[in-house]
Amino acid sequence: MDFRKLQSANRLKSSELLFGMGLLVGVVIWALMTYFGKTGIGVVPFAVGIALLSVWGSYWASDKIVLTMTGAKIITEADNKQLYDLVTEVCVAAGLPVPKIAIVEDNAPNAFATGRNQDHAVIAFTSGILRVMDREELQGVTAHEMAHVANRDTLVSAIAATTAGALALLSDFMLRMMIFGGGNRRNNNSNDQNPLALIASLIVLILAPLAALLLRLAISRKREALADVTAVAFTRNPTGLRRALEVLAADNTVVHQKSTAVAHIWIESPLDNSKTSQLFSTHPPLATRIATLRAMEGSA
Amino acid sequence: MKVVVLIIAVLLILALLAIMARNRLVRANISVDEAFAQIEVQLKRRSDLIPNLVETVKGYASHESSTFEAVVAARAKATTATTVADVAAADGQLTQALRGLLAVTENYPDLKASSNFLALQEELSTTENKVSFARQFYNDNVRTLNSAIKTFPSSLFVKSAGVSARPFYEVDDPQDRKAPQVKF
Repeated sequence: MDFRKLQSANRLKSSELLFGMGLLVGVVIWALMTYFGKTGIGVVPFAVGIALLSVWGSYWASDKIVLTMTGAKIITEADNKQLYDLVTEVCVAAGLPVPKIAIVEDNAPNAFATGRNQDHAVIAFTSGILRVMDREELQGVTAHEMAHVANRDTLVSAIAATTAGALALLSDFMLRMMIFGGGNRRNNNSNDQNPLALIASLIVLILAPLAALLLRLAISRKREALADVTAVAFTRNPTGLRRALEVLAADNTVVHQKSTAVAHIWIESPLDNSKTSQLFSTHPPLATRIATLRAMEGSA
Repeated sequence: MKVVVLIIAVLLILALLAIMARNRLVRANISVDEAFAQIEVQLKRRSDLIPNLVETVKGYASHESSTFEAVVAARAKATTATTVADVAAADGQLTQALRGLLAVTENYPDLKASSNFLALQEELSTTENKVSFARQFYNDNVRTLNSAIKTFPSSLFVKSAGVSARPFYEVDDPQDRKAPQVKF
């Protein structure tokens, strides 16, 4: 399989999903208008505003916040020469500036990258991953993380989180207003309302948060798949990343912080396990990712 | 009135598209320049590493003089090259010579165990990786530029943007594209 084709396929797919979220917002606003009349629109700026405030602060300072939440320590070239070399190599391949490099003291092998843009990027490795992986495997992991930086995935997930958050708030507001009998529906336009449309809008308002969550997770999975392919575009070596993922698959330990807030940024999700359904995972299954990389090895 | 507004709008959109297509070419051309500069930076790094490497190896294998001479000669040539083809050719020779030098070190267990040489090995392997990634990045950028030059609508602005198709960075011997094997 050609990595260039896979790259554009994954990009297209994730834009489609983002577009789907936009559509969902449209449908929810329609439901609002149907159920509450024009005044229903009044709450939209509030929901969007609150969601923006809560997500964009953490997006803007993501490098600092994540470092604090995970306890990662920034290192210099002198602290770990080989790791520093590995990261700078991949940066040459990607044409990106060298990010801050950090280590999380944790036995579970894992890694993540964050930061609002390439100039504020941080790439972190657990001490466990540095112990169990050889140079080639670590290069694959580094390339995957730098691919997140190159693809601006902190931004993509912030957009997805803002939209999902705004939809959850909107639906929450609406359901409360219904319970307390609010809205202009009964006063103004109860006569000319189609009952079917009212029921449909009610269903939309109830299901919208779940749909937004599923879309958000689907976007996260697509961006992970894209990062794997972009990593191959950087190193032209699917084998390294494939072997690294096999190491992760064989390992049962899990990073200690199980905070859902930062689950999506690790290369291997600390939350997903075989019990959670595929629909609710932030990452595609490791077996699928390994199979895709194997297919690329065949044609490289 | 409406027709006039419509015509102006269409013209504006066309002008915008033209500017974007031309900028695409200019940007791609700058990226190629930057990528080539990156190759030179990495080759310079490698070149700076060589005296130290040669000295270290000499301490243990002083009679392998022909190997040293090949490396030093290839290094001298690499520093004077300027065009893409010349730099690539000199790069290829130096890679070859370094491979010879590393093959020689295989016969000297004392050398391979020395801490100085171990540090050099990491330095050398990361530099080789950077050189080859810089070549790859350059070639990707050339590929982007050359396809922008050939495809519509950017192909219309090749003259006005003052760009032309650029050569790929090709190392002669297909084996040269691979970095010399540095084993741990």
